[in-house]
Amino acid sequence: MAKTLDKDKEKYMVQYGEPVGMIAAQSVGEPGTQMILRSFHLAGIESTISTSGLPRIVELVDAKKKPATPVTYIYLNKSISKSFDKADEMQKKINEVVMSNITRRTIENFTKGTIRFLFNRQELELEGLSPKQVATRLEKHLEVDAKAEDEKSVTVHMHTKNLKLIRATTVKILKSVISGIEGAGKVMIRKDEKTDEFYLVAAGSNMEGIINVDGIDKSRITTNDIFSVYRLFGVEAARNALAMELKKTLDEQKISVNQRHLYLISDAMTASGTPKGVGRHGLSGEKNSVFARAAYEETVKHLIHAAAYGEVDPMKGVTENILVGKQIPIGTGSVRLTIKKEDMAKIKSKKD
Amino acid sequence: MKTEVIDYIKFGVVNPDQIKKLSVAKLSVPDTYNEDGYPIEDGLLDQKLGVIDPGLICKTCGARAKTCPGHFGHIELVRPVIHSEFSKIVYMILQSTCRNCHRLMLSDEHLKNFGSNLGIAAVAAAAEEEEQGEGQKSSMLKKLKNIRKCERCGTVKGKLKFSAPTYFYIDEYKLKPDEIRDQLLKVSNDDLAVLGMDGKVSRPEWLILSYLLVPPVNVRPSITLESGERSEDDLTHKLVDIMRINQRLEQNLNAGAPQIIIDDLWELLQYHVTTYFNNETSSLPPARHRSGRALKTLTQRLKGKEGRFRYNLSGKRVNYSARTVISVDPNVNIDEVGVPQEIAEKLTVPFYVTEWNIEKAKELLQRSQYPIVINIISKDGKRKRIIDANREEILKSVTAGDILERQLMNGDIVLFNRQPSLHRVSIMSHKVKVLSGKTFRMNYCVTPPYNADFDGDEMNLHVPQTLEARSEAKYLMSPEFQIFSPRDGEVIIANNEDGITGMYLLTRDGTYLTKSEVSYLLSLAGIYDMPKPSKGGLYSGKDVFSMILPKDLDFEMKTGAGPFVVKKGRMIEGTLNKDTYGRGRNPLMTKIGEDFGPQELKRFIFVSSKVADAYVTLAGTTVGVKEYKTDEKLEQERSRLLNETFERCTQLIRDYKARKLEALMGYTLRESLERMIIAELNLVREKANVFLAKYEHEDNNAFQMAQAGSRGSILNIEQMTMFLGQQATLSGGRIKRGYYSNRVLPHIVPNDIKPGARGFVSTCYYSGLAPIDLFMHAVGSRSSEVYKALLTARSGYLYRRLSNALQDYCIDEDYSVRDANNNIIQTIYGGDAINPINVQLSKISAKKSD
Repeated sequence: MAKTLDKDKEKYMVQYGEPVGMIAAQSVGEPGTQMILRSFHLAGIESTISTSGLPRIVELVDAKKKPATPVTYIYLNKSISKSFDKADEMQKKINEVVMSNITRRTIENFTKGTIRFLFNRQELELEGLSPKQVATRLEKHLEVDAKAEDEKSVTVHMHTKNLKLIRATTVKILKSVISGIEGAGKVMIRKDEKTDEFYLVAAGSNMEGIINVDGIDKSRITTNDIFSVYRLFGVEAARNALAMELKKTLDEQKISVNQRHLYLISDAMTASGTPKGVGRHGLSGEKNSVFARAAYEETVKHLIHAAAYGEVDPMKGVTENILVGKQIPIGTGSVRLTIKKEDMAKIKSKKD
Repeated sequence: MKTEVIDYIKFGVVNPDQIKKLSVAKLSVPDTYNEDGYPIEDGLLDQKLGVIDPGLICKTCGARAKTCPGHFGHIELVRPVIHSEFSKIVYMILQSTCRNCHRLMLSDEHLKNFGSNLGIAAVAAAAEEEEQGEGQKSSMLKKLKNIRKCERCGTVKGKLKFSAPTYFYIDEYKLKPDEIRDQLLKVSNDDLAVLGMDGKVSRPEWLILSYLLVPPVNVRPSITLESGERSEDDLTHKLVDIMRINQRLEQNLNAGAPQIIIDDLWELLQYHVTTYFNNETSSLPPARHRSGRALKTLTQRLKGKEGRFRYNLSGKRVNYSARTVISVDPNVNIDEVGVPQEIAEKLTVPFYVTEWNIEKAKELLQRSQYPIVINIISKDGKRKRIIDANREEILKSVTAGDILERQLMNGDIVLFNRQPSLHRVSIMSHKVKVLSGKTFRMNYCVTPPYNADFDGDEMNLHVPQTLEARSEAKYLMSPEFQIFSPRDGEVIIANNEDGITGMYLLTRDGTYLTKSEVSYLLSLAGIYDMPKPSKGGLYSGKDVFSMILPKDLDFEMKTGAGPFVVKKGRMIEGTLNKDTYGRGRNPLMTKIGEDFGPQELKRFIFVSSKVADAYVTLAGTTVGVKEYKTDEKLEQERSRLLNETFERCTQLIRDYKARKLEALMGYTLRESLERMIIAELNLVREKANVFLAKYEHEDNNAFQMAQAGSRGSILNIEQMTMFLGQQATLSGGRIKRGYYSNRVLPHIVPNDIKPGARGFVSTCYYSGLAPIDLFMHAVGSRSSEVYKALLTARSGYLYRRLSNALQDYCIDEDYSVRDANNNIIQTIYGGDAINPINVQLSKISAKKSD
């Protein structure tokens, strides 16, 4: 099959000058209006709620530094991945518990200089923590004098009556991570019905932190956070992740767009070495042509800049040539026909 | 006239010398017309600046209105002002240069850190090399900003403060524009180069204005109202303001007025010049018209969607176009468009006279009825209208090289377009078919690419005016080359709606037609042979369909409704439906396209659409209340399903309350309960669909349509005969709140989470919605309406951004993708250089070789 494809390949190949960028833009832009409200048909019992449809596409194409709903899929080493207990253990290790998540109420006693954190016991139980553990953690990481005085609270002795300091410490403690990995978010255990494997789904994208936990299959960890992929694995990986995320989002909406279009968009966004959005702060804002930038957004800013710095518009793109009424240098407009004077004479004589 | 092609455009700042050179008049009178309605000399509408009134002659070029291009004038400001739009750049330079020695405040050694070790020139070169240059430049600027003492002469910098739009302070002393200019004057071009500026085209002192260029009157034409009153352009108003203040300032200066008055007037002059450039300058109140409307000054003219750039330059108004309502005509081929006679008589097509077609040209010229020649354009470019009086004369003088503009005729190539033009198939070329009537006529098979319908849609038509344009339109933009979508290779031009029902009815098992029926159907298709009769002198529908299939077509496919087989151009098994006859992934049509080419596929679509139409008309199909009637069995099943579900939901709630419910992994108990209930409610809908799919019969036309895939689905039938199901909201969850104490309506018990209380509608359209159900349904409908409105705005902007970013990318000779600067974006397009439009086709080819 591959052979015949090769033989016939030329027939199916793109032609010189084909405006593939525009076609890719249209292929993603046109079905945008068709994207539908996430309906109940998709919401399976165990699906995670994450941004989808148009908002997600916009987010990807903008190259947002952090997705609105970051998700990391964490697979476990094959040796432990079939055991629920092991998975549970891993979950406890990674799951990010912030003090404010487990705290029901804080009582600041300014006369005594103490802060008492009353726990939500249900939450505490769910995370498998005891007040004692929390106290030790606080002592170790925040260097405060914390004591678990009963089964439902931890008291921090400040040894000072400085109001400002006490309040600042309260805020600091509430924001501090008690267990798990910072930025990992809430971690859930899932089971892959096909392979019988347990895996973890984290509502955060600190892949840099998570990947170093023992027992994790580093080759299979994935996330929907493009920048996390970029930081950890480089642009090439970010490019693939971007194309895959776009594909996934469009597939969810049952919109079929050929991968090549998505690859082109991803490649365009990553061609400079770092992921860049397509908008005025990204690809469009970095065009060489003054006119192309001026015609897009922030017209005056670009013209003023061009004048002050004596910029040159090379007139090689589409917009600037439309502006001045020239043929665009793309598709059939990119072909130039030249003929030697002698040949022209020959044709003339033939005619006679 | 000599024409040249623009190679590149270099920007710069206009300098005082250029202004003086450009200007034809120094304007000194801050007024426009005198009492006689005549332009005042040296006023803002001086006739030296060009004329726009018919009859007047330009005092500079001697031309009349419309031919005079207009000429610039200038105003000499008695005190300089800062060009507000450039004030940030002025600030940057003031910050970077020393007040004493006027050099960059960094020493050569330090500058080296930001470039190479070659000193100033090299830093400038590095700044040119965008990427790294930019980064280095910005860090250099940061360093210059924070520097305290000039590294060259040791002068302490002093605290420079910039207050937008045009105020500069040094150590709390307010700098006057002329003082700033004196400083800028002394900065050398070499130092400017380090900052990225080219002193040859933009010296910083030019940003402090002493001469103000006044645009020609053509740029700011005054209009005469019906009452005979003149109304001036906003720019003229603004210029009058500037001149008035300028004059007052001059008088005060001459009279030796106190400094405070001078400063006030100076500042006022600055304000007027600033708002002349940009009337939306932040921190300044906009200059207003007498009526209170803010004036539209230079920046406003350029900016935004209605500005010069996007409104007049990126998009232009064109001639040779027409627009009217569209309507259907199944007899118009898919690559044709029916054009009203009226329009055909108005639009023209150029006829290039050569020595080979001069006879034909003369023939055309002689005509006095419909296709006539309207204009003749002679070699010198003059256009002359042809009337009976000059016909004879023109007939004699017509020679090769002239261009005739003849009326639009049958077979001419035109472009047809419907907005919004979201993808390339929103504009396709069609062949003209002149028809009576007042609407454009089109085949309904081409409606999907245009996303058109006939409820009053209007479309545009353009006539290409050069041979190149015409042939490109014909060979690249014709619908037969657009049948497959470049998005994914799926079919986008195909029969739809009733056409599919028709084909479904014709080709399903058990359809037999009489001889007269068959001959009627086939005659429409232009086929005058008969298929072989199959039983009792009757002809099977499949055989009739086979007649329009390409002769040697071999095709096999598995569909949801069993196999579909065509052998040697004869349909053996299966029934045509959306998967084989409609839009989308359509293997049958893809196969025809691959094996027989676009022309054959076009023929197939057109011919089969006629047959399909004729057959639905013959067989007849309709949808009425009958289709959506409930009966006892349906009613029984409905209540059984609903009761079962409600019971299960109540059980879940009971379990939850009794703390017996087991939480889903990673969810709290409450979340789990909600999810389980939603899952139940989805399940019941699916169950109802499964039941209906089995229960409904082919004699239900709505069901038949759902089966054929032409319109509607089982879900629609379910909603009409059984129940509507859960209504969704924007957030994706069930409807909640809306009323005090955690309930949707006062009729509901607070905190009730049973299906009915949270937007599950258990009544159907046929029986009518119960009051609460109706409300819930309205909530869902409104929600999706709001969402739709939000979505279209957002997706429009997404598309604009994408297309702007990617528009320059095209395929190079080596199959790499390049941007406008010839940078490689992809080394091989898509990794294999395969055109996505062909992906479905190539699958067919791959299958063939297996």
